[in-house]
Amino acid sequence: MMENREIQTILPHRYPFLLVDRIVEIEPGKRGVGIKSLTGNEWFFRGHHSYPASFLLESLAQVGGIVLGIKAREENPQSRFIGLFAGVSDFQFRRCPVLGEQITLKVELTQSLASIYRFAAEAFVEEEKIAGGQILLSFSRSPSGTSR
Amino acid sequence: MFHRLSYPFPLVVIDRLVEVERGKSIRTAKWVTANEFTLAGHFPGEPTMPGVLTLEGIIQSALILVAESHDRGRLTGSLEKVERIRFKRAIVPGDRVDFLVSLMAMEGDFWKFKGKAQVGGETAADADVTLKVINREVGFDL
Repeated sequence: MMENREIQTILPHRYPFLLVDRIVEIEPGKRGVGIKSLTGNEWFFRGHHSYPASFLLESLAQVGGIVLGIKAREENPQSRFIGLFAGVSDFQFRRCPVLGEQITLKVELTQSLASIYRFAAEAFVEEEKIAGGQILLSFSRSPSGTSR
Repeated sequence: MFHRLSYPFPLVVIDRLVEVERGKSIRTAKWVTANEFTLAGHFPGEPTMPGVLTLEGIIQSALILVAESHDRGRLTGSLEKVERIRFKRAIVPGDRVDFLVSLMAMEGDFWKFKGKAQVGGETAADADVTLKVINREVGFDL
């Protein structure tokens, strides 16, 4: 379990683009489950009430970044790393989550090739699966670079 | 033209419609500046346009193409599937992004598009996406 404060020590993302609230389960380098709550005063809820599909991808990617980042930090607390969104494959949306819901974000590493990591990613609202597919992250460690 | 599409726009990514060929293809553009709200947190000290907003630009261009291809009716467009997107290069303040989107196939309510984001002729992202488009012919709308 990781609170938001700790998430911010791993991810460089900040407001208005930190799109995961809490990590509830994590196996470093393997899988993670995060949550993102949707409340009315968030900036993207101007004039409508659903969480954009593309932001759902970003939330899942950020959970993937934490799964990889925690592992890198365990291996070397000084390590710096750069994680970038590399792509998406076969990602199906059933519906967009709406204001007042809490999204459960599940990611599991399925493949890694050089610095590209492929995750099976799924989003749920309570028991209902609302979207799922594969996301790809590019993750590399740099001795002195900035962490992203 | 966005008002005809009931689609959640957290921010309109597109600045300008450059050209459109009804039912076929569209070209739009966006300028990226350090003053953008989202770049403050993505990332502090290292502003980079979020990949999902590049995807959003491709989707919004596709939606404008949908709207331009229908004269009337109330349209609902939603993202059904991202078959594939690959981000090839970072987009940073000062860049101009051109979105080129073509309609590849229509299967019932599902419209399949191929989209590309370019910066100075260099491909920053390319994508295959499917939108679900519902057109309700209602009276004398518009």
